This record gives sequence, structure tokens and C-alpha cells, in this order.
Amino acid sequence: MANIREIQSRINSVKDTMKITNAMYMISSSKMTQAKKKLADTEPYFYALQGEISRILRHLPELEHPFFDQRENVPAEERKIGSIVITADKGLAGAYNHNVVKLEEEILARPGIHKLYIVGELGRHYFAKRNVEIDTNFQYTVQKPTMHRARDISGVLLDQFEAGELDEIYVVYTRMENSVQSEAEVMKLLPLERSSFSEMKMPLNMYREAIELYPSVEAVLDSIVPNYVTGMIYGSLVEAYASEHNARMMAMKSATDSAESLIHDLSIVYNRARQAAITQEITEVCAGARAQQRK
Amino acid sequence: MDTFGLKIIASDKVFYEGRCRKMTIPAADGEIGILPNHENMIIAIVVGIGRVEIEEGKPLEVALGGGFAEIVNNRVTLIVDTAEKPEDIDIRRAREQRERAEEQLRQKQSIQEYYHTQASLARAMNRLKLAQDKKWNL
Repeated sequence: MANIREIQSRINSVKDTMKITNAMYMISSSKMTQAKKKLADTEPYFYALQGEISRILRHLPELEHPFFDQRENVPAEERKIGSIVITADKGLAGAYNHNVVKLEEEILARPGIHKLYIVGELGRHYFAKRNVEIDTNFQYTVQKPTMHRARDISGVLLDQFEAGELDEIYVVYTRMENSVQSEAEVMKLLPLERSSFSEMKMPLNMYREAIELYPSVEAVLDSIVPNYVTGMIYGSLVEAYASEHNARMMAMKSATDSAESLIHDLSIVYNRARQAAITQEITEVCAGARAQQRK
Repeated sequence: MDTFGLKIIASDKVFYEGRCRKMTIPAADGEIGILPNHENMIIAIVVGIGRVEIEEGKPLEVALGGGFAEIVNNRVTLIVDTAEKPEDIDIRRAREQRERAEEQLRQKQSIQEYYHTQASLARAMNRLKLAQDKKWNL
């Protein structure tokens, strides 16, 4: 049986670790609430933008715009594919980072020239070892997502898309399904696809109001689409942030739980060792006393 | 007097929702006024100051970021980056923003950075312009 003091110090060290995991649990849960609130605040704007694009598409089906250009003349091997990968800055969040990285690996396996835009330290370290082209000027953190940062990111990407340095842009991030479940997901950012703006099927004889776009269709779309892309990026940053903290919360919760059960087991062993020591001492005293009597 | 439904959605909140008598918005080639029963239209908005008349004779001013306005069936939806009341504007911060942008404009920049700082400067100037005078009194 182990030394009593050894068990005691083991229990203390587990208790210390439990304090840390418990604190991290609480921090993550408060950060997640903030992230959720942020997401709820920005949702009306985002949905309004999406609705607007689908309205314009509905009224002008023959619309041509660079953002809708699928660039089909570029063969699959020569397509320049950019992916924004959103991971956490650190681990300790269960399978959260692993799922995102695995999904990105699937994209990398497809034909094309890949380029990565990584948000989050962990992903950056992982892909730096992988021999993939990474935009090194793209240094953004995942902590506290802001509209400003989303605008910066979308500015960089839209610029490269318009210049023809990128033909397709994806976002790999983690989406919150509900408060317990979240799932890594790939979202196509650009070029925009008409089908994703659910076009309503209208009966032919229905009156459709005519809408004039001022000063021109291009000018209006130029002001809507970049904002829409920014909104998408902001949305995915916030979703990822919320799911990161959700994952960390769960990981820390299970760590705390297993620390508790470990302490429980250890304290049983400790008590047993203590009792054994006492029993032994009593036996020794009794034996000594008996030996004295026999004399 | 007739009114129309107005909804101003900024990227971080729904700024205003309710009825309105008339309003003006900043477009690329000058201000555009909207009265009830306006023709259906979608208008691109540039950074500038919008005026909203909710109560008669009391136009209220609001600093708008870029975005667009949609007018359909006597309902106006303004979807903009930012919408701020004069009293919500932090003058000191706006001034700092302007100085920062001016400083950056003096340095050598790529075309993209140049547009970026230019837009930032426009926003700062717009905020300052509005913050100098009137307040909202709903």
C-alpha cells in the first residue's frame, strides 16, 4: 500500500488542477454567453442583407456581376482555392480544433492550387508543418470577434478575388447546432451561388412590383455584396468563438468531473492506508503490553 | 400627413423601427428625399448624415455608414454599416480616428490601404460633423 503522505500530496495536486479546470469552465461559459448575444445582435442585419440579394436576384434574373461569376473556364487543376480556417488559439477544447483541421485536410486533397488564410494560433502551427501555402500576412486572432476585424478580412479576400488571385473562397469553421452540439462545417463564400438564395417560384400571372436600382445595378450590388461577405465572415467568427468556448466548457466540465472521481477514489485509498497504519500501531502496542505481562 | 414604415438596421443592432413622415439619405450624387408612397427603389448610400422626421417639424439627424436603402410598398428599410445618434458619438474617439487616418494618408500605402484609410477618414469626419450640433429628442 502506498505511503500515506504520497497519497495526501497526490490528492492535493489533483485538487489544485481541479481549481484551474473549474475556473476555465466558468470563464468559457461567460464568454460563450457574450458570443451568443453578439450573434443575436447582428442577425437581423445579416438576414436583411441575404433577403435583399435574393430580392434583387428575383427581380433581375439575367443579372451579371463579377461576384456571381463561377469562372467555369478555369480547369479544376488550375483553380486557385482559398480557405479561411478558423481554429482556436490554444487547445484544451476537446476535439474542437481537430474537427476543423480534418475538414480542411479534405479540401486540400481536392485538385487545385490551395492557399490558406488561418485565423487562430493552433491551426497556424499545424499547417505550418504541412507544406501548404499560407498567407503569412494574414494575422488575426480569434479572441473577441469584431465587425472591424471581419471587415479587414473580407477586404483582403475580396481584393484577391477581384484581382483573379483566387477563384473560390471557402470558410472552414464550427457552427453551433444548439447549446450542446456543434459541428465543423465548410461554407462557400465566393463566388456567390444563385441557388443559395432560395429563389421563390412565383406564379406567372402574379403582379411583380418593379424596382429601380439607383444609381445603377452595379453600384447597388457593389455596396451590398462586400457587406454580405463581411457579414458571413463575422457570423462564422462569432459562431466559431461560441463553439470554441462551448467545447472548452464541456472539456473542462468532464475534467473537473473526473478529478472529482479521482479524489473520491484516492480518499478511499488514503483512509484505508490510514486505518491500516492505526491498526498496525494498536497491534504493536497490544503485543508490547502482552509481552510485558508474560514476564 | 401620410407616413411610411421605416426600419434602420445597423450591423450591431436594429437602430429604429416605426413610422416616419419624411427623410433624406446621402446618396453618391447628393441627398435623396423620401416622402410617403415613394416609387419602389433600391438606393446605394454613402457615408453621410441622414435626416428623419418622425414628429412634424422636428427632423432628427443620424450619422450613417455605407449601405443601401430599399423602398418597397411604402416601407423603407435602411441597411447600413453603422447608424449613430449625435449624443452617442464619442467626439474624442472620432477625433483620434481622424488624426490616425490623416497620419496614415501621409505615409506610402498600397492602393487598398489608401481606400481603407480614406473610408475611415470619411467616417470620422462624418461623425464629427454631426456631433458638433443637434441632439436627438424622441
